[in-house]
Formats: sequence, structure tokens, C-alpha cells
Amino acid sequence: MSALGHYLEEGGVPTVAISLIRAQTENTKPPRALWVPFELGRPFGPPSDAAFQKRVILAALRLLERERGPVIIEDFPDEDPREQPDPGWRPPFAKPDLDNGSATRLALALEDESERVEAAFRRAAKERGRTIVGLSGLSVGEAGRYMAGWLRGQTPESPSAEMSAPLTLRFAVDDLKAAYIEVALSGSATPSSKQLGDWLWNDTAAGAAIFALRSMYLTSEDDRLKAIAGLFLVPGVRVPPSG
Amino acid sequence: MARLSDLPAATAKRYAELECPTFATTPWVNGPPLAERRVAIVSSAGLVVRGEKPFRGRDPEYRVIPSETRPDQLMFSHISINLDRSGFQEDWNVVFPLDRLRELAAEGVIGSVAATHYSFMGATDPVQMEDYARDVAARLKSDGVDAVLLSPV
Repeated sequence: MSALGHYLEEGGVPTVAISLIRAQTENTKPPRALWVPFELGRPFGPPSDAAFQKRVILAALRLLERERGPVIIEDFPDEDPREQPDPGWRPPFAKPDLDNGSATRLALALEDESERVEAAFRRAAKERGRTIVGLSGLSVGEAGRYMAGWLRGQTPESPSAEMSAPLTLRFAVDDLKAAYIEVALSGSATPSSKQLGDWLWNDTAAGAAIFALRSMYLTSEDDRLKAIAGLFLVPGVRVPPSG
Repeated sequence: MARLSDLPAATAKRYAELECPTFATTPWVNGPPLAERRVAIVSSAGLVVRGEKPFRGRDPEYRVIPSETRPDQLMFSHISINLDRSGFQEDWNVVFPLDRLRELAAEGVIGSVAATHYSFMGATDPVQMEDYARDVAARLKSDGVDAVLLSPV
């Protein structure tokens, strides 16, 4: 982001960058930057808090009025209040019993769960008026069935001529994760991203299935599949220490 | 929370050691007071308007986001799964604060909101983006933009 600041400003356009990783900004030395103490993915802080977001934006834009520079790197002082868990939030459904489940049993549980989540997802998307699900081109239930095929050791055909089967697997996983989170976000509670992640990864068949897919294909002889299993299914913070 | 000490050790190490381009000088362009400025968002979140080609891999190109884009039309195709998406799912302003800029323009705090905004894929080597970024600079100038809010993820 800071490098873009250099290129745009050299092109004659004044810029101010939001910085999430201060060390990177210090190395790149953009004309102006505001470091914010927020988690990756939330450069303007808490969702659904217009007043807070506006304070961040104004703190950044006001740096454009400074007469002396470069380089300006300032710190935004306040933490994101939405990083705190909401004790009032409840998971959308109970944890399934998956103890000692084989891959086949997990595939069945995933198919059943994703089918049920699809109905809740449609209601949530209608209520919210938007969704980020849609990278794979599959419905939520179809994404669950597509992943279940891989869990059974099959290579399900990609429904799109433009996407390989491994890429479709990656986008199906992205879509399924996004759909579950949107279902978990419906209602008036304000869960933290950690609460949502703890639920998805620890308490759903989908989370268990994605962990299993990672383990199954991490040693694949297909380099694309191996890379997708290692890098694009389970976030680093959720990968167990044993790998 | 995006302090290196708060991130998983492997992720923190990768970010700390990430090779960033260095520049011999830093450019600096002045402008009028904020209340007279035209503001655009340039994001590196891999944002795409639904129906357009999502970013794949480390694509150095950019996508155009017209100001009339609605929240239900904006997709998030950043390659990294190590960043939160739930904030954007709940409220697009967390990443793309177009509603906030419109409010600031209506309040007279900024002059106006640009007609067009832009998105890159932040995981791409910035050096590969240079030509595209210079193209964006020319497009911003032709729109009269004199303030860019650079939004990472």
C-alpha cells in the first residue's frame, strides 16, 4: 500500500495510506500514513460503527493538510472495541457429534450441514441485502457436496470451464466459510472475529471437513492441489502446531 | 491487534522479513484544504465488482469501482486467507468506506467524492504494479482527484 502511495504521488496525486503493519510502512516510507492498531482485514476498525470509522478516516485525511513532509507516520490511538467478544452472541446451531468420524462420515455430515446452512444463509443474505459468497459459482449446498467429493478421495469435475478442479475446491471452501460467517452474523449480537472463527473451526462439520481436506491433500503429487491445501484452506492462526 | 507481537509467530516472521521496495526519495504533493478536496479510495483488498473477473494469484492489474457501486455488488477476492473477512461481510465500510466519504462530503468536511475508485491485489509485488499504478494516477487526475485514501487489508 505504501509503495502505491509513492507511485500515485509521483503521478501528481496526494495520498495518505492506512498502515496495518507499521514495520512495513517504516521501510517503504510513503508520503503520509496513519498506523492503526486493528486486525488484518479491518483497516477502518469496527463494523457498524460509523462514528469510529469516521474518526479513523479524518485522522488520516487531516495528514493531507500538513505543510511539512515527507515522511509522516502517525499512530491512531484507539483500539477496535469490536475485538472484545460479545457474551450475548450464540452460535447458529449446536456442535455436531463428529468424534472418531471417518472421512466418509465427515463427508455425509458436511453435506447435511451445508444443506441446512444454505436455507439460513439465504434468509441472512436477504435480511442483510448482500453477501460475499459467489467466487465458486456454486450454491452453498453444492459447495458442501463438491468438498464432500474431495473428502471421499474423488476429483469432482469443475462446473466451470474457466476453473480447474483444485481452484474450484479453493473457491468452494472460501464460499462455504463466508456463508457460515454470514449466518453467524445474523441477529443483533456483535461477535468478534475470534468468536466467529472459534465456532467455525471448532464446532462445525464444515470446519472439521476443511481441516481434513488440508491433511489429505498436503502431500498430493499435484502441485496445485498441494499448494491450495497448504496455503488456501486453513488460516495460519488455526493450523495446529504439528502442521 | 495488527502488532507483529500479536500475530502467529510464523506470520509475524513473514511480515517482518517481507521485502518491501525502497525508494531513494519520497514524493510530496500539496493541495487545498480538505473541504475543497475530491477524495478517492484506492484499496489493495482485491475488491471486484460482482460479475467482473476476480483477482487470481498475484495479479498486478487493477479493477475499477464506480462510485455508484452498491454494497451488494462488491466482492472480496484477496488471495490471503490470513486476514479477517467478517468485518467486511458485516459492513463494507470496514474496507471500502464509501458511505463515510459520502457523509463527510454532505457535511462539507471534504469537497466531494471521486467518480471512480480502484482496487489492487495487495499480495502482488508492488514493483509489478508500478505501470498500472501510474495509469491509475493519470485516471485520478483526469477525475480531478486531489486526495487518495489508500486502504490495505
